[in-house]
Amino acid sequence: MSELMLSEPTLSELTLSAVALRVLELHPDACIVSTCGYTSRELFNAADRPGNFYLVGSMGMAAPIALGIALARPDRKVIAIDGDGSLLMNLGVLPMAAAAGADLLHVVVDNGMHESTGGQATARRSDFVALALAAGYRGAERVETAAQLRGARLVPDRGPTGPTGPTLLHAITGPRTEGIGKRVEHTPPQLVERVRDSLGPRVAVPA
Amino acid sequence: MHASTATRTVARDLLDTLADSGFTLATGVPCSLLSGAFAILENPGDEDSRVLRYVPAPREDSAIGVASGAVVAGERAVVLMQNSGLGYSLNVLTSFNLIYDVPVLLIVSWRGHGGTDAVEHDVIGRELLRLLDVFALPHTILDHADPSGSVREAVRLMDERQCCSVLVVREGI
Repeated sequence: MSELMLSEPTLSELTLSAVALRVLELHPDACIVSTCGYTSRELFNAADRPGNFYLVGSMGMAAPIALGIALARPDRKVIAIDGDGSLLMNLGVLPMAAAAGADLLHVVVDNGMHESTGGQATARRSDFVALALAAGYRGAERVETAAQLRGARLVPDRGPTGPTGPTLLHAITGPRTEGIGKRVEHTPPQLVERVRDSLGPRVAVPA
Repeated sequence: MHASTATRTVARDLLDTLADSGFTLATGVPCSLLSGAFAILENPGDEDSRVLRYVPAPREDSAIGVASGAVVAGERAVVLMQNSGLGYSLNVLTSFNLIYDVPVLLIVSWRGHGGTDAVEHDVIGRELLRLLDVFALPHTILDHADPSGSVREAVRLMDERQCCSVLVVREGI
């Protein structure tokens, strides 16, 4: 059983941008749904692209919305980028996503705080790997260093006959050391239109 | 409590009309007033299994989230819930659906209608339609004599306004 030793927000080698860029390196065509506040804002400034679907509100809904896209589009890689606060707000998404069986990659960028609102502590520094596995996720792993991030399997794609189901990457980051950058400039309806265009026509995949 | 044959037919007509209207995903949190519809979603016969995928949700806002994702991806999706679940749903409705213009059909049971239900339904039951009006959510009352027509009207309002539309169910189906 994995054990999470961190109890306080700590300095970390990892940043949300580094995690997002590594995920994009492995899945350049992915559709990414990012949670509200600094998470969407940092992703926008680090790597804006039509396949990014930024939530500006509705905290806790990044993973459910990503799940809905993944269920509709099994031919596409779909990734949710959650925060520790937004996942704690809606832990019920874990068994729902596991039961639905979609091939969702659920990334949790965990800085131990509600940074967008001033750095208040989240309810508890939590072991999201254990929580995901207990809820029925197909796999989950934690990274705390740049080397671990590079070595992370980022969850194996299923083989032609392998099991489907969500997987989780728990990335430990720390308080930001640089400014957050500008807000998302696209309007919400524009975000819908461009992510829908980027998904393109559905391609049949083997059942 | 078992739904009678007659009420099963309302649920069947309702779901068949959704399927005929291009809906592909159903999700939600059960209510006893909607038990006939949930029974079909959980155990679709051969004739239904082709169309509506059912995703059980732990809470109503998560159901709206899943349905919204499917709509963003180009599908049509419906959420079934008790009116008590609208409380949980207000954040996702107001800070996602109503600003991203992502329309989802909501089928909402009306517990507390008429003020003679269990006490926990009194307040939301009394205020249900006013609550929908506050957020300009169009609503249609299910006509048990013509469930198909009621569904089509709710879907028409959803499409016309590109906004979540609510089909309100007062009696068990």
